[in-house]
Amino acid sequence: MRPSGLVIFLVCAPAWPSQEIVQLFSSHCAPCHNQQTKLSELNVESRQGLLQGGRRGPAIVVGRHQESRLYQWVAEGKMPPGKRLNEADVRRIAAWIDAGAPWPAASSHPTANQTWWAFQPPVKPSGGSIDFFIEAKLRQHGLALNPPADHRTLIRRLCFDLTGLPPEPSDYALTYEQAVDRYLASPRYGERWARHWLDVVRFGETDGGEHNHERLQAWPYRDWVIQSLNADLPYDQFVREQIAGDVLSPEDPKRVAATGFLVAGPWDSVSAVLNKDATLKLQARMDELDDMVTTVSHSFLALTVNCARCHDHKFDPIPTRDYYRMTAFFTGVGFGEREVGSEEERQKLEQQLKPLREELAQRKRDLATLEDPPRARILAARYAAFDQQRASAPRRIPLNPVWNRNAFPATKSQRFRLVVLGHVGERARLSYLELLPAGHRVTNWTAQRLASADQPEILEIELGQAVEVNEIRWASDPEFARREGSISIYRFEVFEPGSGWRLLCSSLDHVGAQELDLPAVEDSELESALDGPAQEKRRQLMASIQALEKQLEVAPSSKIFAAKPREPEKSYVLERGNVTRRGEEVGPATLSAIPLPSPNLEGASAGLRRLALANWIADPRNPLTARVIVNRVWHWHFGNGIVNTPSDFGVNGERPSHPELLDWLAVSFMENGWSLKWLHRQIVLSKTYRQSSTFQAKAHAIDAGNRLLWRMPLKRMDAETLRDSILWASGNLNLRMGGPSFQLQKKGTRGSYIYKALDVDGPEVWRRTVYRFVVRGGERLMIDSFDCPDPSVATPQRAFSNTPVQALTLLNNEFVVRQASYFAQRLLAEAGLEGVIERAYQILFGRQPTAEELARDRRFLENQPLALYCRVLFNSNEFVYVP
Amino acid sequence: MSPKQLISRRDLLWKLGGGGVGLGLAQLLAAEGQTPRTHFPAKAKHLILISLPGGLSHIDSFDYKPELARHHGKETQGANTITPFFGKRGTLMRSPWTFRPYGQSGKMISDLFPNFAQRADDLTFIHSMVSRSNAHGPAIFQMSTGFIFQGFPSVGAWISYGLGSENENLPSFVVLPDARGLPPCGAANWGNGFLPAAHQGVVFGGEKQPVADLHPPSSISQEQQAASYDLLTQINHSHLQSHPGEDALVARIKAYELAARMQLTAPEVTNLAGESEKTKQMYGLDQPASRAFGYNCLLARRLVERGVRCVQLFNGGHFGSPRVNWDAHEDLVANHSKNAETFDKPVAGLLADLKQRGLLAETLVVITTEFGRLPISEGLGEGGRDHNPEGYTSILAGAGLKAGFSYGSTDELGYKAVSPTTVYDFHATILHLMGIDHTRLTFYHNGLQRRLTDVHGHVISAVLA
Repeated sequence: MRPSGLVIFLVCAPAWPSQEIVQLFSSHCAPCHNQQTKLSELNVESRQGLLQGGRRGPAIVVGRHQESRLYQWVAEGKMPPGKRLNEADVRRIAAWIDAGAPWPAASSHPTANQTWWAFQPPVKPSGGSIDFFIEAKLRQHGLALNPPADHRTLIRRLCFDLTGLPPEPSDYALTYEQAVDRYLASPRYGERWARHWLDVVRFGETDGGEHNHERLQAWPYRDWVIQSLNADLPYDQFVREQIAGDVLSPEDPKRVAATGFLVAGPWDSVSAVLNKDATLKLQARMDELDDMVTTVSHSFLALTVNCARCHDHKFDPIPTRDYYRMTAFFTGVGFGEREVGSEEERQKLEQQLKPLREELAQRKRDLATLEDPPRARILAARYAAFDQQRASAPRRIPLNPVWNRNAFPATKSQRFRLVVLGHVGERARLSYLELLPAGHRVTNWTAQRLASADQPEILEIELGQAVEVNEIRWASDPEFARREGSISIYRFEVFEPGSGWRLLCSSLDHVGAQELDLPAVEDSELESALDGPAQEKRRQLMASIQALEKQLEVAPSSKIFAAKPREPEKSYVLERGNVTRRGEEVGPATLSAIPLPSPNLEGASAGLRRLALANWIADPRNPLTARVIVNRVWHWHFGNGIVNTPSDFGVNGERPSHPELLDWLAVSFMENGWSLKWLHRQIVLSKTYRQSSTFQAKAHAIDAGNRLLWRMPLKRMDAETLRDSILWASGNLNLRMGGPSFQLQKKGTRGSYIYKALDVDGPEVWRRTVYRFVVRGGERLMIDSFDCPDPSVATPQRAFSNTPVQALTLLNNEFVVRQASYFAQRLLAEAGLEGVIERAYQILFGRQPTAEELARDRRFLENQPLALYCRVLFNSNEFVYVP
Repeated sequence: MSPKQLISRRDLLWKLGGGGVGLGLAQLLAAEGQTPRTHFPAKAKHLILISLPGGLSHIDSFDYKPELARHHGKETQGANTITPFFGKRGTLMRSPWTFRPYGQSGKMISDLFPNFAQRADDLTFIHSMVSRSNAHGPAIFQMSTGFIFQGFPSVGAWISYGLGSENENLPSFVVLPDARGLPPCGAANWGNGFLPAAHQGVVFGGEKQPVADLHPPSSISQEQQAASYDLLTQINHSHLQSHPGEDALVARIKAYELAARMQLTAPEVTNLAGESEKTKQMYGLDQPASRAFGYNCLLARRLVERGVRCVQLFNGGHFGSPRVNWDAHEDLVANHSKNAETFDKPVAGLLADLKQRGLLAETLVVITTEFGRLPISEGLGEGGRDHNPEGYTSILAGAGLKAGFSYGSTDELGYKAVSPTTVYDFHATILHLMGIDHTRLTFYHNGLQRRLTDVHGHVISAVLA
């Protein structure tokens, strides 16, 4: 991340007085008096506009605020309507007019235009290499590369960088070049580098927000990233598949999964689906499109296109119109799971799973048969109690008096009944009650008596033949409900020959039932209502249901959480980003400032549009794409990018420290088939990468930030590397790749969306951290202290902070303490009591302890358990820092 | 701003980073003895932020609307036709609670808060609050982080970033969730977003393990813990010998020294043995309904007393069943009565206690919810109210404010704010009282110099003393 406070950028925030005034006008006056709307002919978006004024004459008289109409009106509170400016702002306007109404000159903005460096096609300098460019720059500053690091250090550095794990002790015997080959070929490489990419694309497996739903089928995208990196899928293709893999090969589940990229971010299902306010719904949809535009442009182009949503980009040449044309590429994409594979494959899969599903359904039925009678008895007692309460508080009824529905597991019968146990008001009437899915309806039924638990009113429904029902919907006449009353407590039951009436649903199922403080029937209550054999049977059933559910959860699915096709909507330029203020209708087009023509998309389908965008980005003539990825890879190796704002190559981003090197890498990368493994090889084989990390006071005085790379930086392990390395050391790391994620946090029950941290141990959770189920906003995990980001926003650069809480975590967290014990067991098994210290040093540090260290550590072990010693080593700087 | 100016020397210990963050020991030592330098003199040194998730009804608590009673049972029409979140439009519904005047200011407050109302003369009401969303998630995010999207740094994280802690043995930003469960959207409410992890809110739990991982599992004795620290220090020092000049390694050794001290300090904070029975009663610890939240309020005072910069409390948990927050869709009376009972005494006690100890003069107390509730019933003839982002009430108390003062208003029915105060304005004012110019507390992320207040916000100068 950027050294905070060292470089200050002026962004949307005002920075000098005249800029503040522009901002003030922009937020208070420009909504009506802008260049387009010009209410009363007034435009406050330029000095000229103010001088010229509106229908009533000039808005300002330079140097004389008292005579300026603008001042008069805001001082009197006439403008802005309904919202008086505060005194400070009014004074500021007066002072500004008196000071000559200075307007920030266009030239005082560091705005970019088509000549901006990042928009020029990269040109490969003749000759050159990584070391050539780095050393040349160092020489200019009177500096030089550090001498090469020793072999042990190099192997460690290389292994951590390429695989995210420490080297096996035997790896130190390899030559450096052999190690490069081995690690690049290792499946661990894809796991390590996928984690970097998943940071950029804000990959999460829950929706985030209020209804933080699980995305149990989002992992195929994560697997696709890992597999693509391991296979060294050319980067241009890597780009194409993530934007439009479903268009390239609609039948290929892997390529469809690649579009998980587009929807990997948070999604507010409450605003998008539940919310009834039409404007806010539109707003929610624009937010979805914004998220896609933002991620695509940040990730691949390092451009902050999203800044142009409400106004033309303040610095980069991205007009608002461009922004809305970009949204038009994604109008066919929504959030959610989609079916993949051919119809035939889906059926085959369904056939495979059918026995499991049937068995599960049967077990559930068995359990219901066992539990329903006692549950009904317990509930009946609760209803009775509630009924008494109702007498004193007749309005405390949670139901919608006009329209209701209940869903329940499908059941087949000829006879059903609605048992009304209470209402609000004197009488209740149903305008209809419908049995779904068949659609049988009863209409205009009126309960004449005031029903109660003792004297229920019953509506019986007898059909000509048995039908399957899984939902009822019923409605009251609103007028009647208002005048007379409506049903508030009811049960809906099915008649089963042989066993009688069985409860399907009731008023208690409604969300609001909890307000009655009627607790649900607890497990323990059911348990105690059953006799011994029944209890045993119940336990068995529950265990097998759990096992079956787990099996189905991890079974292959025909669904993937990826770009979900939807009816494309039209796109408009929205004035100031306001969904209710539609301007010109626009079609899809790429960014006008980039000198690569937008494809012609006249009449193209939504999918083909998206593919065209993918091809435009992956085009070797696109000046940004190759530069952006080589810079990211560089940044992940060296801790600093050549451009140290990896997701912003615009004016607010940093200028490249080594522009020629960046271009040389970008062009060579494309010449070498967009191969990321080729790129890694260039970097790790360079002298620059292989130099030592030794601190040099002289160089530090000249270049404290090490931007010139006079040494290799010492790097603290990131959160995942640390967790994986501890598991690796203890001998527990489970290298099973891919598939559904393991969970360290679990969603609450009964409608709660809080994800509780689990205290779990065992091979399932000993997998690499990249396979963790990534929750947005879950309860704290050990890795959070180590700057593992919540994937709600993109994290192109991680923070590496150092806090006492972090120290406490690594010392005291259950996970660390447990793994330290496992590590101790491993040491004993491999080296015996005498050899534990040497073995520990070999495994963790790749070296022998010095005589001094050996003596010191032996003294400790004379009095303390080995596990305690192992825990100390996990906390040591030598373990946590990669040299 | 340059954050360096706003960071105290002690605080650097919390922020020091390896490689990335870039502040090294040199800066640390250079800054020795320096107290936080704010943009302008701070009125408050500490912030206690009390959030009421779910949506407290302003018109049933602090925003007195006699007209609403007069129009009870009527429909809303014309420009004021309301589209509720769940789409069930009812008729205008008067407040079921009686309002009475309190204090010198004669502030009308409902019977929901008989004890809290006694503090009326210490409070500053803002009745014209508006939210950008009518859905909980975005509205809660906006209140907690300034943005309606998830992932931005929370108010407490920004303040920690700007001002740091006064006590190096405690975190600068502590969070006390409701005993009934985490608030809606969970830890995202106190996340550090793109700020370094040092600024994320640290959740304080019970007495035994106030901070997660504060103590090792019981299998490790105190003596063993001490021996571990000792060996670790030796190992790290000898490692440092072969890495001269590495500030990051030194900083990490320091962090373990602080951790060891925190292990001693934190339990002292959560141990209430030294508090008198009278104090405990003041916070409602003697009553079952208010005991849990009362404990948190008392803890907040103790944390602030010891120099913690920001304490955020939640009165209310997540959604789901049973409902444990202020989201009174079905039954306003039952819901708000139950929640008010947990809130009333503890917060009244907190304010009184802060005042008698002179702490209110240097502490800003903020009480807010994410939006208000509609003046109509939710559905015909029903007893709940739906969400209202167009007008609600937030309360400030403490340093630098006009006390016993009400600012802004909603229309006569309590539906829409007459001259809206945005959450940006609200946050700008909080930062202002803490001595921070909201336009100058910035952090670079993905192409923008980000602020708590985005590109908006004006300090509400009318509420300042």
